[in-house]
Amino acid sequence: MAILRTGVFISLLASLFLLTLQVFRTLNFGRRRLHSEAHGNRWKGVAYAFGRGMMPWEKESAARHLPTYIAGILYHGGIFAAIFWALVLAATIHLPRAWLFFLQVALAAGFSAGVGLLAKRAIKPEMRHLSCPDDFIANSLADLFILSGLLASRIEAVIPVFLTVAIITFLSMPLGKIRHCFFFFYSRFLFGSYFGRRGVLPGTRPAKP
Amino acid sequence: MTMPPNSSDPLFERIRGLSEKDRQKIFKVFREKLDADAVAYLNSCVHCGLCADSCHYYLATGEPEAAPAAKLDLVNKIFKKRYTLLGRTLPQLVGARELSRETVGEWVDSLFGRCTLCGRCSLSCTMGINIFSLIRAARSALAAVGLVPPGLQSTVDTAIRTGNNMGISKENWLETVAWLEEELRNEVGDGRVRLPVDREGARILYAINPREAMFFPLSISAVGKIFHAAGEDWTFSSTNFDVTNYGLYNGDDEAAGIMSGRLLQAAKKLGCSELVLAECGHGFNSNRWQAPEWLGKKSGVKVRSILQVVAEYIRDGRLRLDSSRNMKIHTLHDPCNLVRLGGIIGEQRYILKHAVRNFIEMTPHGEKNYCCGGGGGQLAMTNFAKRRIEAGKIKADQIQKTGAAVVVTPCHNCIDQLMELNKHYKLGVEIKSVCEIVADALVIEPMKTNSALPAI
Repeated sequence: MAILRTGVFISLLASLFLLTLQVFRTLNFGRRRLHSEAHGNRWKGVAYAFGRGMMPWEKESAARHLPTYIAGILYHGGIFAAIFWALVLAATIHLPRAWLFFLQVALAAGFSAGVGLLAKRAIKPEMRHLSCPDDFIANSLADLFILSGLLASRIEAVIPVFLTVAIITFLSMPLGKIRHCFFFFYSRFLFGSYFGRRGVLPGTRPAKP
Repeated sequence: MTMPPNSSDPLFERIRGLSEKDRQKIFKVFREKLDADAVAYLNSCVHCGLCADSCHYYLATGEPEAAPAAKLDLVNKIFKKRYTLLGRTLPQLVGARELSRETVGEWVDSLFGRCTLCGRCSLSCTMGINIFSLIRAARSALAAVGLVPPGLQSTVDTAIRTGNNMGISKENWLETVAWLEEELRNEVGDGRVRLPVDREGARILYAINPREAMFFPLSISAVGKIFHAAGEDWTFSSTNFDVTNYGLYNGDDEAAGIMSGRLLQAAKKLGCSELVLAECGHGFNSNRWQAPEWLGKKSGVKVRSILQVVAEYIRDGRLRLDSSRNMKIHTLHDPCNLVRLGGIIGEQRYILKHAVRNFIEMTPHGEKNYCCGGGGGQLAMTNFAKRRIEAGKIKADQIQKTGAAVVVTPCHNCIDQLMELNKHYKLGVEIKSVCEIVADALVIEPMKTNSALPAI
C-alpha cells in the first residue's frame, strides 16, 4: 500500500513534468510576432474565452448539445474529484463525512456522464467516424478511474485497485488525448487573444462606428 | 477521396504523379507553417464533435467528412505521425497516418472542397481551436507542389501577372472610370463630380474588387457619389486597384504578400495616408490583417474598410441620408472575413440604421453568422461548385426566414454567391452592396458647391 501511495505522487509528478515538457516542446516551434495593428483588446477576448464564451447562451455548440455540454462538465468534475480523492488517500488524510458525501456525488455523476459520453461516441456514426482507438481508451480509462474511486470511497478493499488505476491514468496523461488537460488552457487563451485582438469578441457591439 | 481513381481531372492526375520529392516538399512547407500556436491547437482536439453543426457544409449534407473536426483530423493525422510518440510508435492507436497520395487526395478534396475558411467552427469549438488557420496551413503545403484547384490558382496567377484578378488592362480600367464619371455627373447633375485616378497627395487611395469594374459598375459609382457628397479627397490607382487577394485562399503567402504589397506601395507612392478597401470580405482580412504578417512589417499606411469611412461620414454629418428612399424590408448578410475574422460588425448596422427604413437581422448574425458558401475560394473552384450551392442552402433558408425583399452585403464574393443562391433556391430577393444602399438614400443638392473638390 505504501508503494502505491508513493506511486500516486510520483506518477502525478512525472506526468506534470512530461506535460510541461510538451508545452516547452510546443513553444520550441516558435511564436510569430504580429505586425498588424490591433483593433480590439486581446485581454478582453481572453477573459471572454474563459468566461462568458463557454456559457451555453453564448456558445452555439453548447446550446445545441446541452446534455453533452452538461455531461462534459460533470465528467470533468468527476475526474478532478477522483484526482483529489487519489491524492487524499495517498497522503492518508482523513476526510470529514460531509466532504466524502460530496465527493461521492461528484464521482457518481462524473461516472454516469463519462459512460454516457462513451456510449455516444460508440453509437453515433458521425462520432465513430471521428474517433480513433485512443478516444475510446482515454474515455474508458477515465471512467474506470472515477468508478474505482467511487467504489474505494465505500469499500476499503478497492483502495489499492483505485490507486493502481490512478497511477496508470496519470502516466497515460502526456501520451494520448488526455494531454488536452494542459493544452485546453493554451488553446482557449489563443482563441480569446486572436478574436479579442481583432475586435470580434467579446460579443456583438451596439451599432456604432 | 470522392474522385474516382481513374479520374482525368488534372489535379488528381497530379496527385497520382506525386514524387517522393513532392511529398517531402509538402511536409517541409507544412512544417514551416506550424508555429507554437498551431501545434498547441493540434494537441488540443478531443474529437468531441461539437463543432460539426457549426459548419454549413455539415448542416447541409450531414456528411461526417464535412465536420470541422474531421477536416482538422486530416491535418492532425499527419502531424501526429511525425511529432508525437504514440503517432510514431503506435499510429493506429491515435489515428496517425503517413503523408501519402491517398492522404494528399483527401486533403485536396476536403480542405479545398469542403471548407470556406469562414472560422465559424472556432467559435463553437470546446477548445477554441483556430481550425481555419490549420486548414490554410495545409493548403499552403499543397500550393507548394501545385495542388491548388486550377480555377483558384489561375485567379492568383492572373493577379500576379496583370495586377488584378480579372486581368483588366490599364486602358480598359481608365475607360471604365471615365465612362462611370460621365454617368455620375449626369446622375448628380454636377459637372464637377470626379472619379480621380492617380491623384498624387490625395488623402485616400480607394481599391475596388475588379468584378465591380466588369459586372457591377454601379458599386463604383455609388462610392464615387458618396465620396463626392462627403467632400472627400481621394483617388483610384491606374495600376493597383484590386482589393482582392486569393493568396489568402490558395495558401501561397508569397503571392499573397506580393498582391497586398502592391496596394500598400501604390498608396505610399501616391502619398495617400489611408488605403480604403471596397466592400470585400477577404480583401479586408487580407489587406488589413494578414498583409503585415505576410510582409513581415507594419503596413505603413492606415488601412480601413469603406464601411468604417462611410459610418464616420454619417456620424460626422458629412452625408445626408433619406431612409424613406429604401422602404422595402432589408436584411444583412455578414461576410465572414469582414465580420468574424475582421472585426467590422457595428459599422454596417449603423449605416443601414440611417439608410433604410425597415431592417431585420438574420438569425444568427454578426460574428455568429453562417457563411454564404462563396468564401475560401469556392467561387473560383468550379470542380466543387455543386457542393458550394448545396452548402449555401443554410444561408438561403436564413434569408427566406427574414421575409426580406433586399439582402445587403458588404462583399462582392458574397454577392456572387447570393445571386446564385437566389436563382437556385428561388428566393426572389434583390442583392445589393451597402454603398449602393447608401447611394440610393443619399440627398445631394444639385450643383452644390464643395470647396474640398478642385474645379476641373
